[in-house]
Amino acid sequence: MKVPAKMSVKAIPALLVLLVVGLGTTDAGWVKQTKLGDRFFQRPARTLRIERPALRRGPRYAPDRVLVRFKPDVADAYAEGLLRSYGFSAVRKIPRIGVYSVRTSPGSSVAETLAMLRRNGDIELARPDYRTRLADTPNDPFFTRYQYNLRNRGGVLDIPQGIQLQTTAGADIKASPAWDVAKGNPETVIAILDSGVDMTHPELAAKVVSAGRDFANDDDDATDDHWHGTHVAGIAAADTDNSEGIAGVAWNCKILPVKVTGADGTGFYSWIIDGIIWAADQGADVINLSLGGDFDDPFLEDACKYAFERGVVLVASAGNDAGSVLYPAAYDSYVLAVAATDYNDEPADFSNSGPQVDVAAPGIYIMGPVPQWSVEEANLPYGFASGTSQAAPHVAGLAALILSLKPELKPADVMKIICYTADDVNKSTWPGRDDIVGYGRINMERALAPYILK
Amino acid sequence: MRQRSGGAWRLVSLGIALVLAAAHAPAAESKVKTLMAGLNFEYFSRTLVWDGDTGSARLQATLVSARTDFGFGKGLTLSLSAGLSLTDFEGLAFGTLPITLEYDASPIKGLVLGAELEALLLKSGDFEIKADGRFVSSFGMSKTWPLEGFAVEGQAKGRSNWMEASAGPRLAYLLSSAFVPYLEVNARWFRADFRMEETLEDLHGLETKRINGDLSFSVALGGDARVSDRLTIKAKAGFIPYAGGVDALASVGLLYKF
Repeated sequence: MKVPAKMSVKAIPALLVLLVVGLGTTDAGWVKQTKLGDRFFQRPARTLRIERPALRRGPRYAPDRVLVRFKPDVADAYAEGLLRSYGFSAVRKIPRIGVYSVRTSPGSSVAETLAMLRRNGDIELARPDYRTRLADTPNDPFFTRYQYNLRNRGGVLDIPQGIQLQTTAGADIKASPAWDVAKGNPETVIAILDSGVDMTHPELAAKVVSAGRDFANDDDDATDDHWHGTHVAGIAAADTDNSEGIAGVAWNCKILPVKVTGADGTGFYSWIIDGIIWAADQGADVINLSLGGDFDDPFLEDACKYAFERGVVLVASAGNDAGSVLYPAAYDSYVLAVAATDYNDEPADFSNSGPQVDVAAPGIYIMGPVPQWSVEEANLPYGFASGTSQAAPHVAGLAALILSLKPELKPADVMKIICYTADDVNKSTWPGRDDIVGYGRINMERALAPYILK
Repeated sequence: MRQRSGGAWRLVSLGIALVLAAAHAPAAESKVKTLMAGLNFEYFSRTLVWDGDTGSARLQATLVSARTDFGFGKGLTLSLSAGLSLTDFEGLAFGTLPITLEYDASPIKGLVLGAELEALLLKSGDFEIKADGRFVSSFGMSKTWPLEGFAVEGQAKGRSNWMEASAGPRLAYLLSSAFVPYLEVNARWFRADFRMEETLEDLHGLETKRINGDLSFSVALGGDARVSDRLTIKAKAGFIPYAGGVDALASVGLLYKF
């Protein structure tokens, strides 16, 4: 039993404010014998149920209405007279932008009406009245209030303990529109290789597929005795739309807890190697590694290669030292290295950089669950934390959503999709891929929603 | 490249077949009683469920073709046509490509070849019943779209082919020598494929959507109107019902009798 006594945390407000220093590791690797824990389930990786968006969502525009704008020199009276001369039964002007909404003549299709209008030299633009739909918004109470990382509407982010941050609208990973397309397949599993997971946390209890494996204590109970792993797991795939707490990136995907650090937040390469191989063998689809070490190690690289070749997407944090990219994030061929940005899409000053950085994700004041034992009874088990550790699970969640939608994709393809659909947030200073944010801050909508061929 | 060669070969083969058929016509001059040639315009829509899809998408085709009708007497007519097609695949989604693509572009151009055979089955008073069979095939031209807004350069390249075979009875009322209205009921078999290739730098995807034989029925009203001794207008309009709606078809042709 590893759950420690309740932490004595004085004056913890309703929400913990935690600043991550990052999980350090040492190079003094030691070998110990491990045994495989119970498998949570067995399934061939290629026989997953396919979740696809509805391919047909009805007409794309109003069947009896078009929008028209005249050239600036055309008088309103003339414009309205002209529209009525076409036989349109209703003409309504939207004055602020000089656009007319007109009902098409009976018997005329939208395409015919547009073709007719576009032949008129006085008309600048004629367009269908396209349908819109509400973006999927979860009912988790902290989503709107604190999770700028998923949907940033601008304004002041008011964090307990008197921290107020001016945020920029749109500096987020575009989660809301992406959830219209995919919320994740419950058979898609994200392994969280970290300090463990609080498996009784309301945000995670229904999401963990098994008690996991603890390589730090060599047992089959990956309960979190630190806090880091619980926070990371929640960012990636907290129980969402459950009227409680926060939203996770991958609503419906599951979590496999794998404990590879001790209660002090440090571990050994051997534990990580064991954890990667174990998670891959258990059928994990994505492995998140919000940790790293300074030393290149061929055994660690081999473990990453092993998982990669078994169809697992590996995501790792670049590190928080404003230095070089840590390992295993630096294994460019097998691992996506994730840097951190903030609520204004600015790169975080602590985020490690280098040619191995692939993408960035929000990593400053990110809200996530913390172990229930770590907070006093009156407080809610959630906290804010900063670091590339918080950035990486956003990317792991996106990888899980991509695989939920297209399980036939290879890890290399998923990595490329995530990279090539990113927003180049620092293009004014470093256009194109750079060593600070890689291809840019991830954009879930572009990675998941259909591209419309015009 | 091989695909393109294959498509071109099929097109050339059909072209040769058409030319040979036309070349044989003079040889069978003694059998050809009437010869008419002209232009034909045709439109049809089909609401289809592509293989592997859960929802339907609407295909609309507009054809403009040159047409020659060979009348062999006793109500037997062979019609051959060749021309251009514009096919719209609005709403068709390519969901297994790395980045899902949804088609909302302008129609794809293609070459169309067709043959139609009409034979008299029964004549009674002012009514006659004919059997009508028709085959049309469209060979789409390749089209490329740039993929914009990504961190790297990209493009999508698409190409589509379709064919339709239809057959059924035609009940005509011999109203006068100048105008013959008719009612036609056809079974229509449709096959199509759309090959879409996606490239984003070193990320490649290829998806081919197929419909291997969609069967539906159409009902159409038409009429052949003799405008003069040599000019005839042939027009037809109808619908193709399916669960939840109807598709439309229409055609009009102007033929000159030699």
